[in-house]
Amino acid sequence: MTEQRAVTIVADVKPRRGASLTRLLTKMGEDAAGNEVLPLGELASAHFARLIILDAAKDLDGNPLPAHLIYMSDIDGSLENHLEELVDLAPTGLDQVFSHCQGYPEAGARTHMTRTAFLTDHTVNAGATYVNTVGRTLRQVRDEARLREAIQTFLDSGDFEGVEPEAVRAAIRRFVQAREDLRWATEPPPAPGPAQRAATILGALGLPLELAALAPVLLPVLPVWALLLRLHEARDSSPTIEPTDAHDRALAAIEDFTAQNPFSALGPRKPGLVRLLTASGVLRLVDYGARYIFNNGSLTGVKTIHFARWVFLDDRRRMIFASSYDGSLESYMDDFINQVWWGLNAVFSNGVGFPKTSWLVLGGSQHEQEFKDFLRRHEVLTQVWYSAYSDLTALNIDNNAQIRAGLSSPMSRAETEAWLQRL
Amino acid sequence: MAATSVSVEADDAQGLVASAYGHLPHGRFLLLGVADRTAARGWLRDLAASVTTAAGRVEGQAVNVALTPSGLEKLGAPPAALAGFSREFQDGMTEPSRGRTLGDSADSAPQYWAWGSPDSAQIDLVLLLYASTPARLDQTLERHGDLRGTGLRVVHRLEARRDDREHFGFHDGISQPAVAGLSKAGPARDTVKAGEFLLGYENEYGQFTARPLLDPALDPGRLLPLDVQGSGRHDLGRNGTYLVLRQLAQDVSRFWSHLEQASGNGHGDATALAARMVGRWPNGAPLVLSPERDDPALTTANDFTYHEPDELGLRCPIGAHVRRSHPRDSLDPRPGSDTSISIDKRHRLLRRGRLYGPRLDRTAALARGANNADHEERGLHFMGLCASLSRQFEFIQHTWVMSPKFDGLYEDADPLMGPPGRTFTIQSKPTRRRVKDLPAFVHTRGGAYFFLPGIRALRWLGSLP
Repeated sequence: MTEQRAVTIVADVKPRRGASLTRLLTKMGEDAAGNEVLPLGELASAHFARLIILDAAKDLDGNPLPAHLIYMSDIDGSLENHLEELVDLAPTGLDQVFSHCQGYPEAGARTHMTRTAFLTDHTVNAGATYVNTVGRTLRQVRDEARLREAIQTFLDSGDFEGVEPEAVRAAIRRFVQAREDLRWATEPPPAPGPAQRAATILGALGLPLELAALAPVLLPVLPVWALLLRLHEARDSSPTIEPTDAHDRALAAIEDFTAQNPFSALGPRKPGLVRLLTASGVLRLVDYGARYIFNNGSLTGVKTIHFARWVFLDDRRRMIFASSYDGSLESYMDDFINQVWWGLNAVFSNGVGFPKTSWLVLGGSQHEQEFKDFLRRHEVLTQVWYSAYSDLTALNIDNNAQIRAGLSSPMSRAETEAWLQRL
Repeated sequence: MAATSVSVEADDAQGLVASAYGHLPHGRFLLLGVADRTAARGWLRDLAASVTTAAGRVEGQAVNVALTPSGLEKLGAPPAALAGFSREFQDGMTEPSRGRTLGDSADSAPQYWAWGSPDSAQIDLVLLLYASTPARLDQTLERHGDLRGTGLRVVHRLEARRDDREHFGFHDGISQPAVAGLSKAGPARDTVKAGEFLLGYENEYGQFTARPLLDPALDPGRLLPLDVQGSGRHDLGRNGTYLVLRQLAQDVSRFWSHLEQASGNGHGDATALAARMVGRWPNGAPLVLSPERDDPALTTANDFTYHEPDELGLRCPIGAHVRRSHPRDSLDPRPGSDTSISIDKRHRLLRRGRLYGPRLDRTAALARGANNADHEERGLHFMGLCASLSRQFEFIQHTWVMSPKFDGLYEDADPLMGPPGRTFTIQSKPTRRRVKDLPAFVHTRGGAYFFLPGIRALRWLGSLP
């Protein structure tokens, strides 16, 4: 079983090169999959990818922060393999993009090795990562979509009225079996091997064990932390600020072209040790929960998110959140408010200006309008966004996988009937 | 739930919020432009006294009025007041990215509209006139429709006939939410807080939807109510709401010709196929309660859910028009639960639509055939009232009605309203049937977002300096 990974590369943009880079990325963004610079559609390892420019800014103390170029991708397999593929695919395209950045090899010194080294050196770890279904590869997503299409066409061409469900399923299986390009589907997808299962179990034990070991220290500290946090919450300001018209229109102009949309949001972390520890601790819990609990199609009930990540930037002074989701921003935000409000509050209330929370998880996103304004205000333009399957929702992908799984597993009559309703 | 804990100031809300004026079947909508602001303000001030309110029984005729952002601006509403309205309202229905939200693309794109497009004459107001008889409508038009000397001119006139049946022949307008504190009591799961349909009241989040709250200096005559939240500001939004008006042309001959042909391919008869697309039978019986026949005892049945009786869509298809525009308890989180219903309540509309154009019954429609282009235009003036255009009307339109992905589907935009090429899946045993490549039956021909102010807000607008 191949696992998924969030790759994040952060490079500082050279002074006075921002405008040129913006022009380049805007052009690429018109056709993220096929553009000449970096044809992301040719990557076999990437489910999603994006490039974002974060303008130069100041931190909360007024210190300058350089402009950043951020590359993000959600990939199958190892980082090394993905970077290899990227460098092999478009060495000169990478040069065009990253030569706008500090530290990129000079023109004479650009080789496969130096390019790869630059990308590797500028890769940062995410604080937390969410994968809709751990282990489902791009190949599998695409193959299973093709399988469903073929079965649908097969069903359209026949008349199954009054036919017993088992007989319908048998006919579908015969059809798939007879098609050389679909025969793979009669076998289930690869399951994790013993080593992988052991690693997962060990991984799942890691955080609980760590917490148990630290309990003698943590338990006495927790009430103090909770009170300090409550004091902070009472003091923190939560101004009601609407996003500006220009900002809103620029974002709306790139939304709702396919079944999916990207979301990228950036904000400063609230200052002070309490907030730093809270944000870091919460992200560890989120990462753990996403990996070991919500790893199969649903993030506490939200079934529309393909991939998401939270990454600290600028020595943890700022955080960027990036996701690929189904439907409109309005429905995405409503899902947040209705279903994962507590988790959102725990993470995002460490960001400056978040609607007022109490005890970390209460309030906050429940202030509907303030929360929607906060998200929109912090959203940044995703200049280049690529999806390897922009016409499929996460629900579609999951249903396709169930259709495939149903070809090989033994079934009772009730299961057969239910399986046929997936088509 | 304490449905009537807050009572609505019905005498300050326009009557359309409380009633579709079913007993006033004749109507005319006048789309107006402001030519002279001083005169227009005087007209509005006078009109405010005769505008029909939501209080008491309406006899014989009704008059309501609503404004676009340009109308508010031309009457002299200050920028601070305009800025308090929602962005969707300020940007308008034809803002380019909105075409993707609403499905106004290809033949339905604003550039082809009869009114309301950026290239055509600006719409500033709509005057909504209703009457019990044609003679009464003439009187009403005589009294309110003669706009000489008012500083207004008529940009476009819309016929607005009330009929229980829309042009495809289906009983329409059955499902309406009960507004807590205003409507007569309905079942709890269909009773929605007033703030979903009127600004200045608590909504289904227990909060107040953003609305224009003015510095008291902008209301020296103290015409507006005070913000009930206690900010000391004057509430221009209170008892007002947003009105969505869309002219939706219905291609009746194509509809029946296509269904006749499609049902020939093993989909039962055309009426049964149409009923599956609608989710109700022509007389109104919901398929989820009566999947096989148009049960005359169920023509107005509306107190039902989907999940428990029909999770899989075997009675009423998942993609049916009524199921996707009001999914009741079908959707996450926890389909079938009160939570699912409480979230559905955040996406409701008061529908006040009216018909236009001559009737074309099914036999006549079939005689014309799909290619014998039906040059007469007929359709629905869709009207929806809601406090949040983005969370209610636009959400319903984009996430539910026009989405090919609604509730786990793949390529099934609304079977009645969707773009050409869509599929309609009929969940069945042993497995589904599909109607592929449906053509467009409905086209958008005009539209705008309006603000339907409270009576005091109308007086304030009429008294602007």
